[in-house]
Parts: sequence; C-alpha cells; structure tokens
Amino acid sequence: MSSRNSGYTTPKPCKHLANYKLKHGLQGYNLIQDFFKINPYGRTMIDKSKTEMPRCSFCLGYQGRFYMCLICSSMSCCSSPESNHALFHSQSCVGHEIAVEMERAELYCCVCCDQVYDPDFDNSMTCKHLMGLPGSGNGVVLGGGLRLSKRKRLDFGVDLDLKRTKRLVLSRDQRSKSCFPLGLRGFNNLGNTCFMNSVLQALLHAPPLRNYFLSDRHNHESCRIRSTERLCLPCDIDIIFSAVFSGDRTPYSPAAFLCSWWQHSEDLASYEQQDAHEFFISVLDRIHQKLGKANVVKENGDCQCIAHRVYSGLLRSDVTCTSCGFTSTTYDPCMDISLDLNMGPCLPSDYMSKSNKPNASTADSTLAGCLDLFTRPEKLGSDQKLYCQNCQEKHAAVKQMSIKNLPLVLCLHIKRFEHSPVRKMSRKIDRYLQFPFSLDMKPYLSSSVVKKRLGNRIFSFEGDESDISAEFEVFAVVTHSGMLESGHYVTYLRLRNQWYKCDDAWITEVDEGVVRASQCYLIYYVQKVLNNKGGEDLSCHPMSTRADAFVPIAGCC
Amino acid sequence: MKIVCIVERQRRASIKRPPTPDAEDETDREPTIQEIINIKLIESGEKERLKELLRERLIECGWRDEMKALCRAHARKKGRNNVTVDDLVHVITPKGRASVPDSVKAELLQRIRSFLSSTAL
Repeated sequence: MSSRNSGYTTPKPCKHLANYKLKHGLQGYNLIQDFFKINPYGRTMIDKSKTEMPRCSFCLGYQGRFYMCLICSSMSCCSSPESNHALFHSQSCVGHEIAVEMERAELYCCVCCDQVYDPDFDNSMTCKHLMGLPGSGNGVVLGGGLRLSKRKRLDFGVDLDLKRTKRLVLSRDQRSKSCFPLGLRGFNNLGNTCFMNSVLQALLHAPPLRNYFLSDRHNHESCRIRSTERLCLPCDIDIIFSAVFSGDRTPYSPAAFLCSWWQHSEDLASYEQQDAHEFFISVLDRIHQKLGKANVVKENGDCQCIAHRVYSGLLRSDVTCTSCGFTSTTYDPCMDISLDLNMGPCLPSDYMSKSNKPNASTADSTLAGCLDLFTRPEKLGSDQKLYCQNCQEKHAAVKQMSIKNLPLVLCLHIKRFEHSPVRKMSRKIDRYLQFPFSLDMKPYLSSSVVKKRLGNRIFSFEGDESDISAEFEVFAVVTHSGMLESGHYVTYLRLRNQWYKCDDAWITEVDEGVVRASQCYLIYYVQKVLNNKGGEDLSCHPMSTRADAFVPIAGCC
Repeated sequence: MKIVCIVERQRRASIKRPPTPDAEDETDREPTIQEIINIKLIESGEKERLKELLRERLIECGWRDEMKALCRAHARKKGRNNVTVDDLVHVITPKGRASVPDSVKAELLQRIRSFLSSTAL
C-alpha cells in the first residue's frame, strides 16, 4: 500500500506514541490485526470475542468507552474525566501509555487523554481488508476481466494537432453579425424534435468531442464506413459540426441527421416527443457501434471509440451480507450517472428550538444531496435477499455504489420521469434541484467511499487517484419544462463564462441566475483541466498565434 | 422508562466509587439484572442492532449534525490544539443526552421490552 498521503496531513504523534513506536514498533498493531472487524453495517471495531462482554480491569464495569492496552492487553474503561481508568492504567503500569479503543478501532494515548494517529496502525488494521485476502471476509470480483489500473494516466488520446484543424474554423466569417462565439447556431424544430436539438447542443460543445470532430478525426467525405455500409452516424455528426462552426448564424435544420438516426434506431423513429436522455444514450451507442470495432482495444479491455473515451466511467458496487459482513465487489462501466432526487434535509426536531431547520417538504434538493443518496449504503429489501458466498445462504444485504473511474465529460441525469409499470402511469417530478457550476466529485469516488467505510484512518487507498482530477466545470444544462407528454427541452450552454440559451432556433444571452433557476434534467460537466482553454473564442484569433488553444495534453505519470 | 432509570442509578453509583486495584474480590458477587440483560443483548447480537437503529434515528432527526456543530463550536472556542477527545465527550454528553427525541427513546424502549419478553432470563 502506498505510504503517500493524499489530502491528509498526519498529525504529529505525541511523545508517548513516539516512545511506544521506538520501543515496540509494529508488534502491538500486528497482534491485534485479526481482531479488527468491520460489522455488516460498516462499523469498524476491535472484537476479541463475540460472546463475552468487555470488563474494566479496575472496576469490572461494562459501560462507557473501552480501551485495550497495546502492551498488556488489559481492558480499561473511561466514563468521565474523573473516572478515567485508562489513565489509571498508564499510571500504575509504567510505559503502558498507548491503547486502542474497542468500539472504533482507533488509537488512544492514555496520558494525553486524546485520540492519536499513526499511518502504520491504520495500514496494519486495514491492509487485509483492502487486499481482499481470503479469510478476511472481503472478496473483490472484477467484472469482465478488467484490470484495476494502479495509476490512471491523464491520457486523453484525443489528437489535438493544429495542422489538421479544419480550415473553416480559421477564417473569421464576414457574414456573422453577432458577437456570439463561433459554434453557436440554432436548430429548427422539425416536429417535436426539441429533445434532439437540446442534446445536440450539449454534444457539440463537449470540449473533447468538439475537439475530436474539429480536428477532422472523422471526415465524412473520406469515411470508409459510409462508403461500405452507407449509414454512419458519426459522419452525420461531423456534418453538423461543420455546419454549426461554419460561421453561418441562420438556424440549421438537422433533417439529415434525424433521418439517419431514425434509420439507426427504428423503434424510436416517430414524430412523438422522445426522452432527451434516451436520445443521448442512443447516439453514444450508435457512435460506439460504428467506431468501436475499428479501434484497437487496449489490454485493459477499454473501448477506445470517441464516445467511450469521452463519456465512459466505471461504477463500483459493494454488496455486504448483513449476517457475516462479507463484501463482494463488482465493476460496471457507465456512460452517465442517473440520480434520484433526494428529498431535502431531514425533519425538524421541535425540542431543539434554536435550530432553524426547514421542513422536508419545502426544502430544496441539491445535487450534492442526490450524489450523497447515490453513494449511501442502501438496505436491500427482504424480497431481494442475495446469496452470500461466505455464509452459503441467502441473507439480507446492504449495497453501496461509488465511482471508480470518472469520465472526461460527466453527464448527470436527474430522474424526473417516474414510470410505474404496476399502475401503468408515468409522472414527472417538478421538484427544483439546486446544482453547482463547479463540482468536486472526490467524495463520491470509490477511494473516498471505501476509505470512509474503514473508519477514521490516515492512509492512501490503493493507488490513490490524487493525480486524477475530480474537479469539474459545468458547460451545458438540458432543461425540461412542462408536463410529461407535452413538455419542452431547452439547453443552456456556457462559453467563455457567458451563458447562452439554446431554445431550438433561438439563441440568446442569459444571466447565470436564469440557469441556476431552471429545472435541470441533464447536467454536463467537463474535467476542469480540459476546460481551461475550452471556452476560448475560436473566431477571434488566427490559429497560428493561438497555439495553446489546442495544446496536446501530455499524459501525466 | 423504568429500566432506563435503574441503569442510570447503577451507573452513577459505579462512577463515584474509587478504583480498587484488587478487582478479584468483586468477581464473587452476583451479577445484577442490568448486567444479565446487557450480556443477553450482546450475546444475541441485539445490542449491535439496537445501536445501529439508534444511529439511524439520530442521524435522521438531525441530532448528529447538531452535536457536530456543538463540537465545532467548542473546539473553536478552546482552540483546535487544546481540545482532546475526552474533553469533547465530557462536554457534549450531557447536551446530547438531553436532546434525544422522546420518540427515539420510546422506540428503543419498545424494542428492548419486546426483546426481553422473548428471551428467557
């Protein structure tokens, strides 16, 4: 395990801990390693015997906090500063100053009467659980032969070579009267196609995707797929990029694209209103179908088509048996994350008159709340009992999701449409969701979530992804207004720190307040490192001097 | 409420008693009813479940957030480096105990009662 700490600065040990380490090293830690347990509810503790109650060697009391001396293993209780038997122990036995608290498996200095920290202690306690050694009660099942990369390189693989940039981006279009940045163009509504128009806007302005097509990586004129199979959705997308970035501001009709998409997805071909999220996923899917096979698949099994390179992430699912605590882990790739709306903070407590907590029904939901809900341990219902490998029987289980790998562009889908197959009804949840413009995804990463499950520790978690940026910036928000059957999608785009409303054919500048107040449905975030130059106005400066607009980003090791 | 009172009284008595190095004398006495109940709760795993239930309820109603805020305030007042775990526990415990919602107390008591009625003492 890496000894590098990320974001944690190890507190300086008190002199008693330092002395203990000098004299005893890791002896004491290793002796109690096997007693470190994680109970089914995710609590870490020292458990010597499941059946016996710990008793204080001084007063034989069985209540309060219990501390086990790391030198002589005697148990002492502490109920108050006047009745601190752990302190007495250190006074009566010289040198017996460091103990471990039974209920939380944390180090305690009996003389300082305070918790102390030692990365070696945390390593010693948790190493078996992280490695998934047999007998430690934790299995790690990797789905589909995926290798857990120890360190993920920031290798975007998207060629941002200047020379191949399309010519039409260079020239400043004389027809353009507006001062809007290049790449903003309205789409005509072809009959309930706002679902398509809104998602297209979000796709067109996803920095890595935009760079890919504008660097001529998929040229519709020289595409081989098109000449053999005649249908190639990436080509149609390339055509739209050319049209939108041409400088022509008149609204564009994506009829050819629509027709092509219909041919790709016959079941969705109609003039009915579709779901924007479904459309988004289907477009990515079609891109992958056309480009995925051609691309060389790397050893670790990841597809290298542009859709996956940009949007694909990896989710981790931990299922813990509530009977024995055995956890099984699986990994699943994802192109977006669908979030349930959380229902705001909890109910107020009337006796705490000083606190001003709002009522659950009136409080706003926040994106952080939804993400918390997503990564919260969820008790699986009694009708969903799962077979536990350890117990060899079916038991109730607890499931916890977390994000193992973040994509370059993160699409968060807010589940506003509820479909009930039982009642054969669908309804829309209009609840307002507050979302940030800058998003830090660190707390939802597997490294953070699993780390938390192991209690209050100081160490870094297997190849800690501190070199991975978890900071994101929003660049597009697809909003929905109206009712389920007859609503309207509108996209807000952020270019050069200015927000634009893309309502089918009409593009207008708006204040950020309007965006914040909108009813978000799909929120698109891009990794902050990619966004720095992404918002640059491509029309104002000739490419030759604006070299850094398309800087190839070196993989960082 | 009855059981809670008995346990409180017993605990208060044991706190005030000075520590005796000769603990061997104490092993001869009969275990009190509270100890027996505690043993039964632990052995059956019910204590762990009750603790988990209690944690859930206290988080739901905002009690834990309230305690966190109190701890932060105390740490800020005394200075970050002058606060110990013991100190915090000592200061927060009375406030914490006082602000547990009655509904939570009632629910847990009910659970303990039904456990006791289902187990042979």
